[in-house]
Amino acid sequence: MNASLTIPTTNVAAIEQSPGYWSGVFKRFLRDRVAMCAAAVVLLLVLLALFGAFVTPVDPYQSSMLKRLKPIGTEGFPLGTDELGRDMMSRLMVGARLSLFMGITPVLFAFLIGSVIGIIAGYTGGWLNTAIMRTVDVFYAFPSVLLAIALSGALGAGIGNALISLTLVFIPPICRVAESVTAQVRSRDYVEAARASGANAFAIIRTHVLGNVLGPIFVYATSLIAVSMILASGLSFLGLGVKPPEPEWGLMLNTLRTAIYTQPWIAALPGLMIFITSISFNMLSDGLRSAMDVKQ
Amino acid sequence: MILFILRRILYAIPIMFGVALVCFSLVHLAPGDPLVSVLPPDASAELQKQLRTLYGFDRSLPEQFFSWILRAVTGDLGTSIASSRSVTEEVFRAVKNTLILASFATLIGFFFGSLFGFVAGYFRDTFVDKLASFISVMGVSVPHYWLGMVLVIIFAAQLNWLPATGAGPGGSADWAWDWAHMRHLVLPAITMSVIPMGIIARTVRALVADTLAQEFIIGLRAMGLTDFGVFRHVVKNVAPTALAVMGLQLGYLLGGSILIETVFSWPGTGFLLNSAIFQRDLPLLQGTILVLAIFFVLLNVLVDILQSTLDPRITRQ
Amino acid sequence: MTQRFHRRVGLAFAGALAAVALSLPALAQEKVLRIAMTAADIPKTHGQPDQGFEGNRFTGIPMYDALTHWDLSKADAPSVLVPGLATSWSVGATDKTKWTFKLRPGVKFHDGSALNADAVVWNVRKVLDKDAPHFDASQVGVTASRMPTLRSARKIDDLTVELTTSEPDSFLPLNLTNLFMASPAHWDAKLKAVPASVTDAAERAKQAWTAFAADASGSGPFKMARFQARERLELVANKGYWDPKRTPSIDRVVLLPMPEANARTAALLSGQVDWIEAPAPDAMAQIRSRGFTIYSNPQPHVWPWQLSFAEGSPWLDKRVRQAANLCVDREGLRTLLGGMMGMPKGTVPPGHPWWGNPNFDIKYDVKAAQTMMTAAGHSAAKPLKVKVQISASGSGQMQPLPMNEFVQQSLKQCFFDVQFDVIEWNTLFTNWRKGAKDPSANGAHAINVSYAAMDPFFAMVRFTSTKTFPPVSNNWGYFGNAEFDKLISDARSAFEDRARDAALAKLHARIVEEAPFVWIAHDVGPRAMAAKVKGVVQPRSWFIDLAPMSIQ
Repeated sequence: MNASLTIPTTNVAAIEQSPGYWSGVFKRFLRDRVAMCAAAVVLLLVLLALFGAFVTPVDPYQSSMLKRLKPIGTEGFPLGTDELGRDMMSRLMVGARLSLFMGITPVLFAFLIGSVIGIIAGYTGGWLNTAIMRTVDVFYAFPSVLLAIALSGALGAGIGNALISLTLVFIPPICRVAESVTAQVRSRDYVEAARASGANAFAIIRTHVLGNVLGPIFVYATSLIAVSMILASGLSFLGLGVKPPEPEWGLMLNTLRTAIYTQPWIAALPGLMIFITSISFNMLSDGLRSAMDVKQ
Repeated sequence: MILFILRRILYAIPIMFGVALVCFSLVHLAPGDPLVSVLPPDASAELQKQLRTLYGFDRSLPEQFFSWILRAVTGDLGTSIASSRSVTEEVFRAVKNTLILASFATLIGFFFGSLFGFVAGYFRDTFVDKLASFISVMGVSVPHYWLGMVLVIIFAAQLNWLPATGAGPGGSADWAWDWAHMRHLVLPAITMSVIPMGIIARTVRALVADTLAQEFIIGLRAMGLTDFGVFRHVVKNVAPTALAVMGLQLGYLLGGSILIETVFSWPGTGFLLNSAIFQRDLPLLQGTILVLAIFFVLLNVLVDILQSTLDPRITRQ
Repeated sequence: MTQRFHRRVGLAFAGALAAVALSLPALAQEKVLRIAMTAADIPKTHGQPDQGFEGNRFTGIPMYDALTHWDLSKADAPSVLVPGLATSWSVGATDKTKWTFKLRPGVKFHDGSALNADAVVWNVRKVLDKDAPHFDASQVGVTASRMPTLRSARKIDDLTVELTTSEPDSFLPLNLTNLFMASPAHWDAKLKAVPASVTDAAERAKQAWTAFAADASGSGPFKMARFQARERLELVANKGYWDPKRTPSIDRVVLLPMPEANARTAALLSGQVDWIEAPAPDAMAQIRSRGFTIYSNPQPHVWPWQLSFAEGSPWLDKRVRQAANLCVDREGLRTLLGGMMGMPKGTVPPGHPWWGNPNFDIKYDVKAAQTMMTAAGHSAAKPLKVKVQISASGSGQMQPLPMNEFVQQSLKQCFFDVQFDVIEWNTLFTNWRKGAKDPSANGAHAINVSYAAMDPFFAMVRFTSTKTFPPVSNNWGYFGNAEFDKLISDARSAFEDRARDAALAKLHARIVEEAPFVWIAHDVGPRAMAAKVKGVVQPRSWFIDLAPMSIQ
């Protein structure tokens, strides 16, 4: 889970020196069959998250004590029912929305905030860089799982607090990547020249820096989505995230734990969904990364 | 070299101070009265004041922080509010249990991770590589709390081969390296090992592939070096980084064991953290987080030093 | 032929040897009973347990004695009060606030010191006298609220104690089952052992109590033998116990906290423990089929939503309160719990001396409930929002998450939009004494704390008197008025049994009619045990007596 938190070595030079770089990346990515499969699965999950609620066979909140814990393959309930007799298939479909939302949102926020802080640190250098990066180091000194759980434990359960904690967890690594690629770009001749000509710092960042650094930071951020999915569901699993009766895979896994002696495979289903999602995001991000790796 | 070590250690001190500050603020961020679990509901204002003074919650936050930190340096992390026991005792008892679990998991992870990584890197772009790589991606993608549940379903609930929870028949105080206790360790350790396994496999694969592609190896091969000779070279190149990754993984597992310990009721730091969170036991919460984070910082320093000793070419930062 | 013969003899011989080898250690083996509790931590062991009544069940009654005890020896009759450390008691002829308790002679604490009037006075002071050197604030919370009228104790002679209450209170002997007697001599020894470097008297007392909790001394049928924080507590038989009927034949009891129903079930099925509290409902069939015994008996227990009468609460309208009571599908809930649930008609069941024939019949009648809700101005399009504070586990809370979720679904059909605030059990329990108006309620309109209905104070008075408003006691929702205060004082001052029961029946009938609760379930206290545990009597009580049990 922490693999992705190690900083990738991004070759900024390759990006800026070839104008057709991104189209090359795209072509290489299209040729990567594994990555394309992963992309298809992710697309399917996103569609499920967006439209799942409209196509569920049964109301995912409708419980019935008489129909509880029906096995997989029961008529009308292809994936069985949960501990309150709600249709598992519908709940897994609708669960995609909250689960993906909880997994992707923190990375998105952390991408925005971390990039800004990291680019500022990398571009300005000096004492501001030191101040920012030493603060980042402090947060880096916490294992990510510990930091996420400690933060949401202190803030209290709830979707909002879980999102805040996870965002805070992902800002430091993104900030580090942003700082290092920005520092690389900053030392390029044309940036030095622009600075010497007295151009406004924001203008330089906008025209020369952003285009070259956002790509690598973004690719790095995509590799965090899988981690974020697992952590977010983990928080719900502990009772620190989504609250019942909302369908969310981590929480479903938690409430279904009482059924592992009667319907073990139903109890395992929500975790399988988390697994499929996180493995797809990981492969997608791996594909992106190797497509960007010019050495290949 | 010695200078590097000294600098590295000195650099860790402000980080540790920062970590302590974060732990402290984190806990004081928490809403609600810190004395909620001991303050009698019909306590008079006078008794409330007396208790607050006793626990030191009447002082200003900076004052509380510095007295906490000064006592923490001497090994006194205060008293748990809910259980009235010493936090230091509670935390270190738990650390011992987590350490048993995490080191066992790291060893399993290191063994299989190196194996898969090496095979994948050596036979790069073959079917074997694809398979080994797929296993390692699975390792980093699997929600381990779910994997734990699945293992419990199969090996405890269905087959009844291994116990589902706990740290042995006599609890963790009687811990011994015999089968009666080790069988409690098997499922949680395997569950915990998949992440380091995946990470180490990915690292080793990349390193092996890189090393093999390097010119000097190609040159050595051309000069008629045997496969075993190549293997030795590769190991020499890969080992320092692989060991470093393993060390860091141990740190991550120590701090990130809460989900697995909850699934298996393993009486370690994660379990302790869980009850501190849900009981709103602030001294216990901040003490546990602090100890884990400091462990992690120190482990990082140690790994850096070891790595640069093993491979002097590496000088980080 | 000979070969086969030899083999047979050999086999038989080996068999005999094995039998001998197996039976020898079995003879010498100590009889151990291992119990998995539902609490997340071992209840406090210093004499005033936390963790609700599960604490009293496992670290109170086995290790300590109180002046009065519950009779836990019968499964087929209500559990009544019997003499404990006190052999007899009486209220003053003129001053009804002064009680005289005669103590049992010859009782010794586990450390060997004598249990006398001084010890009783010392134990009253530990929670009620802020100036006592051994006063322990951390014990007050759980104790003071369970004996709200007790004020002080005075020694008359070595075996006679006078207790004073703040007002005439016929319930005092019942309340005293909650004041466990810890050994003053043992505490003094612990105080002396506190390092001299600790000079602050309060800090020394605190450390002495911590040491006492790790090595306690009471006078109960079991002695504390080994304590491992958060993991296990071991008790050994006190062979010198004063009551021969309660002198244990089991040598050792091991108590393990296992908050999760699943973990407990797994531990039982795999033979890690011999007894689990509240097995996972879905596993009942499997537990039975594997040869374990499930014990259950209706308990004087109520699993309710206690409603708020604070300003702005949606429950201020009586129609809404009664509608909610009519809208819970209790039959369906019982199915959810694998049949392990009693269906409430009120706080006590019909036929109980305190029943009193209320004119509001609690049942499942959605039509009637919908009519009442419509009359109160609510509809499916305009549902009534209510927020309930609940816990994820806890002593007596049964299966709080699925049960509450079920009630939430059930109430939806009567236009209730229920939201939950899920918090940790001990916190919920503490909030319960802080009231609906406290910030800790987090804006909730109801709280889901199950309670024991063994004595009139716990069953009714504390929820309906204006004198028990928070923070004094558990009238969380501020329900009360002059009528109820009058009914209560009538019962409190009826020192004759039948008159007191009649007064309590009137009170109960009025409570059911006014519905300050949604009565949802009665617990039947399911617990599963290995077949080798014999002599188990599950009384109609929250408690169970370990002492007379045996292991085969």
